[in-house]
Amino acid sequence: MLHFTLRNLRAYAPRFLATALAVIVGIGFMAAGLMLTGAMKSALLGSVDRQYAAVDAAVLSFIEFEGLSPGVAPEALEIIERTPGVAAAAGELTAPVRVLGDDGESRTSRTVGRAWIEDPGLSPLEIIDGTAPGDGVVLDRRTAADLGVEIGESLTLATPIGRVTRPLVGLSEFDGADSIDDGGTVSFAPADALAVLATEARGWDAVLVRGEPDSPDLLSRLAGELDSAYRVITGETLRDERQAVTAGVVDVLRPVLNGFAWVALFVAGFVIANTFAIVVAQRRRELALVRAIGGTPGQVQRALLAEGLAVGVVASALGIVTGALVSTGVVVAVDRLGYRLPGAGLSVTPLLVIGCLLAGTIVTTLAVLAPAIRAGRTRPVEAMREGAVDRSGTSSVRAVIGGILLGLGIMVLLGVQVLDWPVWMLGPGALSLFGGVVVGGPLLARGFARLMQPVAQRAGLTARLAVDNTVRNPRRTATTANALVIGLFLVTVVTTSGEAFKTWATDQLDALSASDFIVASSGAPIADDVTSAIDEVPGVRRTAPVRTTLVVGNTAGEVPVSGADVEALRETTGLEVVAGSLDDVIAGSAAAVVDFSTLTLGGIGDSEGSANSGDPGAGSPFGEGAGVGDNVELVLPDGTVRTLPVAATLRARIDSLTLGVLVSTATLEDLVGPQPVNLVYVRTDADAADSVGVELDRIVRDFTGIEVVPGNVFGQIVGQVLDFLIAAVNALLGVSIIVALVGIVNTTTLSIHERRSELGVVRALGTTRGQVGRMVVGESVLVAVLGTALGVGCGVFVGWVLIGTLGDGAVPFTLNAVRVGSIIAAGVLVGVIASIFPARRAVRIDVLDAIRAV
Amino acid sequence: MSADGSAVAWAAQVLGATKIYGSGEAAVRALDGVTVGFERGRFTAIMGPSGSGKSTLVQCAACLDRLTAGQVIIGDVDATGLDEKRLTRLRRDRIGFIFQQFNLLPTLTARENIAFPSDLAGRRPDQAWFDHVVDAVGLRDRLDHRPSELSGGQQQRVAVARALVERPDVIVADEPTGNLDSVSSNEILDFLSRATTEFGQSVVMVTHDPVAAARADRVVFLADGRIVDDVVAPTREQLLARMGTLAR
Repeated sequence: MLHFTLRNLRAYAPRFLATALAVIVGIGFMAAGLMLTGAMKSALLGSVDRQYAAVDAAVLSFIEFEGLSPGVAPEALEIIERTPGVAAAAGELTAPVRVLGDDGESRTSRTVGRAWIEDPGLSPLEIIDGTAPGDGVVLDRRTAADLGVEIGESLTLATPIGRVTRPLVGLSEFDGADSIDDGGTVSFAPADALAVLATEARGWDAVLVRGEPDSPDLLSRLAGELDSAYRVITGETLRDERQAVTAGVVDVLRPVLNGFAWVALFVAGFVIANTFAIVVAQRRRELALVRAIGGTPGQVQRALLAEGLAVGVVASALGIVTGALVSTGVVVAVDRLGYRLPGAGLSVTPLLVIGCLLAGTIVTTLAVLAPAIRAGRTRPVEAMREGAVDRSGTSSVRAVIGGILLGLGIMVLLGVQVLDWPVWMLGPGALSLFGGVVVGGPLLARGFARLMQPVAQRAGLTARLAVDNTVRNPRRTATTANALVIGLFLVTVVTTSGEAFKTWATDQLDALSASDFIVASSGAPIADDVTSAIDEVPGVRRTAPVRTTLVVGNTAGEVPVSGADVEALRETTGLEVVAGSLDDVIAGSAAAVVDFSTLTLGGIGDSEGSANSGDPGAGSPFGEGAGVGDNVELVLPDGTVRTLPVAATLRARIDSLTLGVLVSTATLEDLVGPQPVNLVYVRTDADAADSVGVELDRIVRDFTGIEVVPGNVFGQIVGQVLDFLIAAVNALLGVSIIVALVGIVNTTTLSIHERRSELGVVRALGTTRGQVGRMVVGESVLVAVLGTALGVGCGVFVGWVLIGTLGDGAVPFTLNAVRVGSIIAAGVLVGVIASIFPARRAVRIDVLDAIRAV
Repeated sequence: MSADGSAVAWAAQVLGATKIYGSGEAAVRALDGVTVGFERGRFTAIMGPSGSGKSTLVQCAACLDRLTAGQVIIGDVDATGLDEKRLTRLRRDRIGFIFQQFNLLPTLTARENIAFPSDLAGRRPDQAWFDHVVDAVGLRDRLDHRPSELSGGQQQRVAVARALVERPDVIVADEPTGNLDSVSSNEILDFLSRATTEFGQSVVMVTHDPVAAARADRVVFLADGRIVDDVVAPTREQLLARMGTLAR
C-alpha cells in the first residue's frame, strides 16, 4: 500500500500543493517569527556577554527603578580605584544624544551617548581610526559613514544639557561589529560625559571593575570600602541582570508571534480538511475500486492518512524554508529603512526545525482525519456507477448538535452580559458559539443561500447559478467560509472591543489631568536653563518644577519622593486635598501622600490607573491605610531613617500619581541633598496653549531626553498604544485571513475542475465566457460574504459581551461603523481576489473537450 | 448441490436473492427471489434488457452490495451476514473483478495494478503464475506503463490479468467489452474463455451483447428481477431471438 500512497502523491502533486499552501503559510510565519526572535535574542545576549566580558565586579546604586536612580557618585569611583585588588575601574554612563545638522534638525534618532572607558580591558569599544575621545567625541564607524562625517569635523549634538559642539576625533567599533547600540554610539571622555550626559548629582550609572588576578575577596573588599547605598555584584550577576533586561523584549515578543502562528495554523486546519475532502471526493471511484478489489476501509483510510502525513511533512519543510526567506527579507527591508535589528541573521536551531515540522505535520494529519475516515466508508459498488459531483449534504444530527452549541453559546454570552454571570463563562460561551457555527455551518450555508435566492433571482441567471452552486454542497461551502470566519471573528473582536475600550479610557484619562503641558525627562534631568527658559515664555502663567527621587520605604520597595513648590503645584495641576491640610507640607514639617483609594477610573479600580500612568507607587508601599496622622518612614541612601508625619492626602489624578510622597523642595534637599528637576508642570493663560506649545518645543529641541507633552498626553498615549495594538494584532491575524483566502481559491478551483463537463455543456448551450466568469466570481464572493457575515456578526456580539464585563458595564460599547465597515469590505474583497484564478480557469475551459471527457 | 442431486462444484451460488432499493412508494424491487448457481470452470453470461436486474445480480453475487433478503455463497463460504472486514477479505481473496470502465488505478503502472490485490493482502504474488498470466494476456512489454498510456483494449487486458493472478473462486465481469471496439472485444472474450478452459477459472459476465454472450458456455436470462431462461451452449441466433422476445 505504501507505493500506492507514494504514486498518488506524485500523480496528484498539483492538487496536494493546494492543500500544502495553507500549511506553508502558517509554518512559514511561525518559523520566521522564531528565527528572527531567536537571532535577536542570541545577538542581544551575546552582545551583553561581549560588552561586559572583562568585568569582574560592578558597583551600582542600591536603588534603581525604571531608569530612576541616584547613580554612583564620582567620589565612589575614586574609592573603588584605590581599593586593593582592583586593577582598573571605570564609570559607565549612557544618555540619549542626537547629532544635529546645520539647520538644527536631528540627523540621527536613537543614538546613545556613552562615557568612554579608558581601560582597554574593560572597554567594549575599540578605536579603529583617530584617537580616544579626550576633548572631542568618537563615533561608531557606521554612524560616521551614514552621516558622511570625517575625523576633524565639528559635530553639533543635542544632549541632556542642551546643544554642545565637539570635534570628531576617532571612530570606534564593537568587537568586530559597528556598535553596541542599535542607533549608534557617541563616546565622550569620562569627565566630559559626566558634564554632558549627567549632572554631578547623578553620577555614574554603574562602575565596572576589573580585578587583579587572584583576588577572590574583591567583592567583600569593595563592599567594605563603600557605604550601604551601593550594591556590589559580580561580573556574572551584572551580565545576567543586563541580559534579563535586553532579552525581556524578545521573551515577550516570541510567545505572542507564536500565538498568532497557531491561529494561522488552526485556520490552515480548516483549509486542509476542506481541500483534502474535495481531492478525496474527486477520487471517489478510484477509492471504490480499491474497496471492490479487496481494500478494507482501514487500508483506504491509512493510505489517505499517509498521503496527508506526507503532505504535512513536505509542506512544513517548505514552510520552514519560506520562513527563512521571509525573515531574510525582513532583515534586509528593515536595514533599508535605516534601522538595524539586533542580530541581523537567522537563528535556525534543530529544535526550531523539529518543532515546526511537528506542528505542521500534526495539524495536517489531524485535519485530514475526518475526510480520510469518510473516504474509508466509500461503498465498493460506487466503482461500478457513474462518477458524480460530491453532494454530501447536511444531516439532522449535525443540525441538532450545531443548534444546541449555537444556542448554548448565545445563552451563556447573554447570561454574562445581561444577567451578570461570572466572567470566566465568556471563554466557554465564545467557544460554544464558535463550535455551533462550525458544526451547524452547512445548515447556515443552506439558510444563507435560501436568503440570497430571491436577491439572485432578480440579478439574473448567472447570479442564480452562483447561488445554486453554493448550496450544492453546503458542507464544502461552510468549511470554506469557516476558515474566513475564524480570522474575521478575531479581527472584529479585537477591533470593536479595543475601539470601545480606547474611546472610554482616553475620555477618562483626559478628565483626570489638569495641567496644560508637562515637560518631562526620560531619565536625564532637566537643566536649570530649561526651567528658567520655560518661565519666560509669553503666555505661561505658572510653572511647577518637580524633583523626584527614589528612597526605600518603610515597607518593601522603593518609593518616589517628590519635592516641589506646593503652591505652584496646586495652581498648575489642580492638586486636590482629600483630607488634612497642605500648610505643614509647605512649611516643611510634614508630607502629603496620594490616596489611592480615590483612584477609580469609572469603576475599574487602581490597576488600570497604574497601567496607564506607569506610576511606580501604585502598590502603595505605605499600605492601604496611610492617612492623615500616620507617619511615613523613609530609608535614605546613607542608611539613616527619617520619619515624617502625613499632613494631607491627595486625590489620585494623573498629575499627582507620580509624586508618591510630596514634600517641599527644601525638605527634599534636607532629606537627600540637591536633586535635579525631572518634571515641570506648566499652566498657560486661557488662549495661549498653542503658542506656548510651539515655544516649549523650540526650547527643548537641543536637549535630548526631554519631552514636551500636552496635559492630555496620557489619554493620547493610551489611545496611540491601543491603536497600535489593535493594528498590530490585526496585521498578525491577517496571516490567517491569507490562509483562508488560499482556502477559497482551492475550493473554487477544485469545484470548477469537478464541474468541468457541466461547464462545457453550459458553454455549449450559449453561455458567454463573461457569464461563466461572473458566475465563478459570484460563487466565491458568496462564500466570502457568508464567512464575513458569520465572523463579523459573532465578533461584534462577543466584543459587546467582552466590553460589558469590564468594570461591571462601566465601559460603554461604541461601534465604530468605519472600522466594522472596512472589515466587511476586506472580507468581500478576499472573495473577489480568491475568484480571479478559478474564474480564469473556468473561462478557458475548451467546450468540446469538456463535453467529451465525461 | 444441483436439482437432480448429483454433485456439482459451485463457484458461486445466489439463493432466493431479493434486492429492494429505496423504501415506501419509491421502493424498487431489483431482484425478486432469484436462485442461480455458477458452476466451477465454466463461463456463464447473464443477459437481460436494461432494468432487468442483471447488474444488481452480479454486484450482489460479487459481494459488492448486500441483498435485502437471500443468500450468497462464494465457493464454500456463506457471505451472508459477514461483517465488512470479512466481506472485503472475501472479495480480495476469492473474487476477481473486471468492470466496463474505470477499471484500473490511474496512478499505478500495469504491473502494480495487476499485483494490487496481493499488495492489499500484504503478500507477494506468485512470480511464476504472474509471468504466466501476463504472457497469456500479452502484456509483457507494457507492464511499466500507466493506464493513460494504454489503449482501451490493453487496459481491459490488465484488468483480466489482475482478476486471474489471484486465482479467485469466481471472476465477475460487468460489461467488460462495453467500451471496446470489436477487435479488442474479441480478444477479451478469448481471454475470459481461455481462463475457464486453460486455467480452470469460473467466469460470470453481464452483457447485453449477444455476440459476447454467445462465447459463454451458458446464458442466464433475467427480466424484471427474475430468471426467465437458462440456455446451455447458446448460439448467437438463439440469443438474438430470445433477447427480441424479452424486449417485447
